[in-house]
Amino acid sequence: MLSRNAEGLYWMARYLERAQHGCHLLAEQFVIIEDRPVEQIDQGWRRLFAAVGRTPLGGHLDPPPEDEDFMLADAYTLADDLTFEPTNPDAIRNCVAAARESARQVRNIIPDKMWSSLNLAYFDLRDVEMETIWNRQPGSFYDRTEGALRTVSGVAEGTIYRDDGWHFLQLGRFVERVQSVSALIDAHIALFPTAAPDSDADWLSLLWICEAHFAYRRLYSQGLRPTSMVDFLVADPSLSHSIRHALGRIVEALDAVAAGPPLRTEAERRAGRMAASIDHDWPDRDAGDDDATRAALQAISASCRHLHEDIAGAYFNYEIEDAP
Amino acid sequence: MSRESLGREADADGDGPAGAGQRLFAAYETRPAFYDEMFEAAGVPRAHCRALCDALDGMRPAEIAAMQEYAERSFLHQGITFAVYGEDGAQERIIPIDFLPRLVDAADWDRVERGLKQRLEALNRFLADVYGPGRIMDDGVVPVDLVRGCPQYRVEMRGLEVPHGVYVALCGTDIVRTNAGFVVLEDNLRVPSGVSYMLANRRALKTSLRNLFRRHRVRGIEHYGRLLRQTLAELAPPGVSDPCIVLLTPGVYNSAFYEHMFLAQEMGVELVQGSDLVVHNGFVYMRTTAGLQKVDVIYRRIDDDFIDPLAFRPDSQLGTPGLFYAYRLGNVTIANAPGTGVADDKSVYAYVPDMIRYYLGEEPLLANVETHLCRDTQGLEYTLDNLETLVVKMVGESGGYGMLVGPHASPDERAAYAEEVRKNPANFVSQPVLDLSVSPCLTDTGAAPRHVDLRPFVLRGNETRLVPGAFCRVALVEGSLVVNSSQGGGGKDLWVLSD
Repeated sequence: MLSRNAEGLYWMARYLERAQHGCHLLAEQFVIIEDRPVEQIDQGWRRLFAAVGRTPLGGHLDPPPEDEDFMLADAYTLADDLTFEPTNPDAIRNCVAAARESARQVRNIIPDKMWSSLNLAYFDLRDVEMETIWNRQPGSFYDRTEGALRTVSGVAEGTIYRDDGWHFLQLGRFVERVQSVSALIDAHIALFPTAAPDSDADWLSLLWICEAHFAYRRLYSQGLRPTSMVDFLVADPSLSHSIRHALGRIVEALDAVAAGPPLRTEAERRAGRMAASIDHDWPDRDAGDDDATRAALQAISASCRHLHEDIAGAYFNYEIEDAP
Repeated sequence: MSRESLGREADADGDGPAGAGQRLFAAYETRPAFYDEMFEAAGVPRAHCRALCDALDGMRPAEIAAMQEYAERSFLHQGITFAVYGEDGAQERIIPIDFLPRLVDAADWDRVERGLKQRLEALNRFLADVYGPGRIMDDGVVPVDLVRGCPQYRVEMRGLEVPHGVYVALCGTDIVRTNAGFVVLEDNLRVPSGVSYMLANRRALKTSLRNLFRRHRVRGIEHYGRLLRQTLAELAPPGVSDPCIVLLTPGVYNSAFYEHMFLAQEMGVELVQGSDLVVHNGFVYMRTTAGLQKVDVIYRRIDDDFIDPLAFRPDSQLGTPGLFYAYRLGNVTIANAPGTGVADDKSVYAYVPDMIRYYLGEEPLLANVETHLCRDTQGLEYTLDNLETLVVKMVGESGGYGMLVGPHASPDERAAYAEEVRKNPANFVSQPVLDLSVSPCLTDTGAAPRHVDLRPFVLRGNETRLVPGAFCRVALVEGSLVVNSSQGGGGKDLWVLSD
């Protein structure tokens, strides 16, 4: 397939995943705002901004803890920054717009229904402002938006022809997921050490964001243990939002698009190594040592950035001299 | 009343009895001054239109209007649009469809088809001659300075052999019917567009008026994509057996992008942009995820000027450096060939009948419009003396822009335009105002006559082919002669009937 088309699909999927992740984060944050003490709300915001690697334009992450009104005013500004801020490329609306722009470039190779569902999601967001959603139910706004984006993925799943285009969509989605989930867990542990007492609510919110709550409860019915949650989110191959699951899907997709034997591409080898490392090295670390866990997560994140470069270099903008 | 309000009206009296006082053709009047495509006289349909008239007359106008509205909405949703660039940026528009088809009987179509094939043959010979030996100019049939001075003349094409001598692989010829018969208005030999609307209009009508097609033995046009692909494959460089064909588009912001996408899909070929192509060792490749893949035939929808910044406009962002070099080496086919614009220049147009006589030794089967070239003193004087009865066009413009319709212009407009003509006479030609035929169109008050033309699409590979159909353009405004889509024209399905 044309490199430009592959790249368009890859980025469309990355932006959609990023927008969906943003919706998950904010929806959960608005749940936290409902009934949690001010310090926890504050920590929730800090986790959120650390997870997406951003410093807010306005608002405060360290307000005077006794001033609850001040907190809520900040929530407005902080949420706006992650949702509508025009200069924040990762703001949800910008991600959806970028996904749509990528989709427009590859319209001739995606199903009409996929285009129109994405178009619909975009138009629903285009003219909304923070003030509008603030005055209603901010949480449900993020649920709705996430639902509209999930429809796009569902339509893609149901209609797209399973050729290389599909595999590049998968690559984009799961590369983005490895990045966002590893950054989120890292940020979470930095704020909520695994050994801290009375932190159930904080840890449960992490599971909610990663759509892992029910699966975790079923598998670990004896109780909540932060370290087992981290293991679950990182290494369980059957959990759709786990890093290991995403890497498995990346390996599959790369296998499917690879030019063929005998040599595996750099991207394939790297993805394979990352998956193997979670299978074999991850359980060996000292689970009680949060610094070691965070270092391992940061290494995954760094490898994933290289993986992206490998993919781009092998399929999108390779040098002509290297052309296969 | 607008077209939209007509649809609402349909709902308002949706329960009324069909017929009674609102038959489609009840108030239809023919105009003796113009040939009517459907009626010989008021209430008397032409023989080949009788069955259709009966069927349509049994439907309520509101019912047809509702179908029409539905079709237009689906055009918009599917993005069957074109962009019009105006003061406030680009606007996505559909080409409104009129649901009353225009019928062409077998004998008329046969005349058109033979005339078009003859014309395209002569035009291709002319291009081969112009960029080759130049006999027609040596023999004084076409003035040499007219050809060489034409902005579309590409000196880079001189002495170059193209596969099968085909310069123009695709053309979209604008034809009108006047009281004197069919007349060619213009040959579009560069990047003719509109074929997707022909197919979209057919599809829209087929979904709504299904039962009428079989009954009228309407000839199919749906194989256009296959013919296009076959034509392009035949023009591949010698020795290439299973050529890789691509469609080269300027990109999503081009006004005809929908059509580019549509045709690439119809042919099952990649839709590429200039940046997807690279020239390496004299061959053209496209950049794919499995490495570089050789490209053999490029159906380009980019103007000459932009295909290769090294050969033509250096500031072009749309093209591929070195593409023309690979073309000169014969390693890739570009369709249409660069430089075909010299044959559809509005001044050169005047010589097409002479070309047909010169190259084919035949009389033209389709007439030309009488054209006065302002570059000649005589033509200039005639034009300036008769501005109020003439249409004056700029030779390099298309789409109905830069045109003066004498009878509809004010004396001031005419004077200002005359001034322009005097400044640069060679840039203008004039033609009489044509008595374009009319065809019934749906209006607020039932069917009414509107002026129409037709643009069939002719393909030339090993042989000349065309599907029996055309993009039929219609001037939706009463009395207007301007059918251009960018100027408020609409479209109609055109039915070519079997014998």
